Amino acid sequence: MNQQIRTIADLDRVIHEPGRLMIVALLFAVEQADFLYLQHETCMNKGTLSSHLSRLEEAGYVEITKTFRAKIPQTLLRLTESGRQAFEGYRRNLKAAL
Amino acid sequence: MDQVGSLLNRPKFYYNIDGMGELGGSVMCLGFALLLWLLMRSPADSIWHQISVFGFVGLMFLIHYGTKAVKTRITYPRTGFVEYRKPFHTQAIAAALSALTTVGLAIGFRRHWDNSALASLTGLAFAAVCGYHFARALRWKWVIVGAMAVATFVIAFLPAAVLGALGSESPAHPDRAKLLGTVLLSLMVYGTLLLISGGISLWLYLRHTQPSAQEGQ
Repeated sequence: MNQQIRTIADLDRVIHEPGRLMIVALLFAVEQADFLYLQHETCMNKGTLSSHLSRLEEAGYVEITKTFRAKIPQTLLRLTESGRQAFEGYRRNLKAAL
Repeated sequence: MDQVGSLLNRPKFYYNIDGMGELGGSVMCLGFALLLWLLMRSPADSIWHQISVFGFVGLMFLIHYGTKAVKTRITYPRTGFVEYRKPFHTQAIAAALSALTTVGLAIGFRRHWDNSALASLTGLAFAAVCGYHFARALRWKWVIVGAMAVATFVIAFLPAAVLGALGSESPAHPDRAKLLGTVLLSLMVYGTLLLISGGISLWLYLRHTQPSAQEGQ
């Protein structure tokens, strides 16, 4: 296997999925954001977004905190340190592969 | 990769999605203009000169907490909440640039230089900052930035007598009066342009978004 193909094969598959890539890229630029913001920016429905977030949480890339804002439930999302490193690595590998 | 780059920029543009960034800038410019005008027009021994610093602090509080209140009540329930990263180096660079500009203007002001040109350059830099922060997201805002730049040139080429009359603090210091007139007029024009631009953005935002009934996941 040559180096370029190996780089492509090594791309992080959790992040590589387009929906999750959007979520991770949006969260990478902020300290934290809520579910509504991600839904608004990605135009995904609640179910799809929730399923992607669960996958990212399982991988340890996203930290989910349930809280309240003026008696209204609020879900806060933050990229963990390993999530940040994974996204930086993903960008590096993708650049190298292209 | 460009698309990933644009996604990384989206949260920056989100700050002004409701026009509050521009409205905050507008309140700052018009508030400074009002404070400056009061300082110029009141006698040197008036109480206003002693308490003007409280006016400045009050204005800063109004901008900070006013923006926060509007975002909490209007923006977050409609399009979501974002807490921004505050890298130390960015804050340090911004603080250093602001301090340098302030010190430069203060020195010139104390020494009665004809610093209207420097004030106009500061105005152009302000227009560039507005372009970088607000107009990159929405093309029509370049009209506002262009108007700010044109206004800066028009003010710079206004007759000294007109600017001096606006900033007439003391006939003994015509250069100082011209500088004060330039700053006062620039602040009023920038504040008005930002008020128009921010007001249009807020109106469009309220028109095209609805408060979310209840968040769920």
